[in-house]
Amino acid sequence: MEELILKLKNEIIEVLNLEDIKPEDIDANAPLFGEGLGLDSIDALELIVLMEKTYGIKIKDPNEGKDIFKSVAAMADYISKHRTK
Amino acid sequence: MIVKLADNIISPLGVTTGENYEAVKAGQSALCLHKGVKGVPTPFFASLLDERILSVEGDYTKFEKMCIQSVETALAQCDVDVSSDRTLFIISTTKGNVSLLAEGGEHENLLLGVAAQKIANHFSNRRTPMVVSNACISGVCAQIEAMRALTLGLCDYAVVVGADVQSPFIVTGFQSLKAVSPEACRPFDQERKGLNLGEAAATVIYGTAERAQDCWQMVCGAVRNDANHISGPSRTGEGSYLALRSVLQNANPSDIAFISAHGTATLYNDEMESIAISRAGLIDTPVGSLKGYYGHTMGAAGVLETLLSMCAVDDHTVIGTRGFERLGVSCPVSVTSENRTTDKRAFIKLISGFGGCNAAACFRKGGEE
Amino acid sequence: MSLIKHYIRIKCSKTCYGGIPEYQVTLDGEKIEAAGADTLLTDLYKARIGDYPKFYKMDPLCRLGFVASELLLNAENRREEQFGESRGVVLFNAASSLADDRNYQETIKDPDAFFPSPSLFVYTLPNVLTGEIAIRNHYYGETNFIVLPHFDCAAMADGIRMSFTDRDLRSLLTGWVDCYSETSFDLLLFLVDSEVVGREVELQHEIEKLAK
Repeated sequence: MEELILKLKNEIIEVLNLEDIKPEDIDANAPLFGEGLGLDSIDALELIVLMEKTYGIKIKDPNEGKDIFKSVAAMADYISKHRTK
Repeated sequence: MIVKLADNIISPLGVTTGENYEAVKAGQSALCLHKGVKGVPTPFFASLLDERILSVEGDYTKFEKMCIQSVETALAQCDVDVSSDRTLFIISTTKGNVSLLAEGGEHENLLLGVAAQKIANHFSNRRTPMVVSNACISGVCAQIEAMRALTLGLCDYAVVVGADVQSPFIVTGFQSLKAVSPEACRPFDQERKGLNLGEAAATVIYGTAERAQDCWQMVCGAVRNDANHISGPSRTGEGSYLALRSVLQNANPSDIAFISAHGTATLYNDEMESIAISRAGLIDTPVGSLKGYYGHTMGAAGVLETLLSMCAVDDHTVIGTRGFERLGVSCPVSVTSENRTTDKRAFIKLISGFGGCNAAACFRKGGEE
Repeated sequence: MSLIKHYIRIKCSKTCYGGIPEYQVTLDGEKIEAAGADTLLTDLYKARIGDYPKFYKMDPLCRLGFVASELLLNAENRREEQFGESRGVVLFNAASSLADDRNYQETIKDPDAFFPSPSLFVYTLPNVLTGEIAIRNHYYGETNFIVLPHFDCAAMADGIRMSFTDRDLRSLLTGWVDCYSETSFDLLLFLVDSEVVGREVELQHEIEKLAK
């Protein structure tokens, strides 16, 4: 799980262009949205693309994303249970 | 004053403004489900124009043909020297010939200005055309620019044509934003699930006159920014409210038959517009959206919806909002699904778009009463 | 006294394929040094702005216009003021959002790797740049984007004059922002105020001079 969390942090930094942020700056249990990384609604949509492209997980309803993207740890947990690639 | 001399609408509902108005008044919609469209894996509801109804010949793209035919039809109604350098072409489009990108992407007509020049040249007009590409509000901005150019004497006639063609580029983009409704859109409704895309071209030719008499007059217009977010509307309706407030300095709310809203049927747009309308003190003014008939025709929308609103006022009608049942926005704006009657002679066109831009414009039939 | 008080010029072009791009940055006529053309805009951002990470999310057109607007507004030195509706942003170019259009097209090109990118799609409209500048500076005035067949000082002077018919508008951040790729762009941005009204020919000549 630790490995997946680190991989995810790197992927998030890359797809969301978080140029000034390093993986160790992201707390795996802290909220991804709201304060902190300053992510917005477009970032959430881009994370939906990441889930499908890299892990083969389709999220149809953006509202589902709210729980899945609660934190990096929550994302990793969801991916490990639902991934198809 | 600035008066309308001629107009045209080409859409799946008809190739003249009159045909379009009759269809809308009768409640017809061009929206239907499209499956198996090349380059768009997910089916989508949209209003698409069959290229075969276009009669323009020559080496033109669908976008250019739509513009040319629409301008040609409008020109036939008036006595405007279109080839004169005192006639200014203003094209309103968001994506023009973007579908050419899929064909290798080096085509010169990808450039909006080149395509615009080609359209103007078809009418032997050599003056540099302007393309207003201000997202979804382009059609209203283009008319505001026409009004200004005429007021300042920069031209004698302004030919404003708005058009956009749907393509995998645009459809998949809106799908990726999760903004597309899986059914025909339902503006201002509790159950609204997003927008539909549409294709149309619409032309309005403006000139100047001493008195409005029985003409449609473009009274005023304003553009304001939300300064909030590039793709989400302001929660306080800031720019839309400021544009409305500016327009109301030259328009009396009691003369306004209705507000033709943007009403795309996305959750946030309709909510935002209800707030802006309420803040501007227009909560009792009838409000309507035409998106349930045409979807969102992008560059055409501001022109098309202005022209249909003119027809509606001429017909003493407030067009019902197709798809609407129960109000689903926080401010109680006056929306109905049924047509209503009115004896007022003016209306406001309201519109908003990506980049946080908003526009409002007021139009009036005849002079001051 | 000239009508254009502050202006910025940024040019970058690859002379031949695989060649070294040439660049030029001048602010109010003074040359600004940068590390190199390939990362010109990012270098300028890091060296002279640095507090707006959203820069990294922007497409090439917005990066260009944003960096230029920041340097220009720093030179104007009125950043503490609340402009509200009195300042607008009206920009011109020939390429619209073509650089980002190509990037988005790449994400839908291959049916077997079909992942349309929402963050690229939102930038496929040129006027998003006017929105980015309005957001950064809290400008609520008119924003508009006009595409022309080619660089045309007369058409720009007319467009600027037309915007000043808005009675609330006192000043305009305006100019030419054309971007074909990360290393091929051409920009001339400037600030004008309502004194340009009635002096359009003068304005046109000043733009011509600065564009040389």
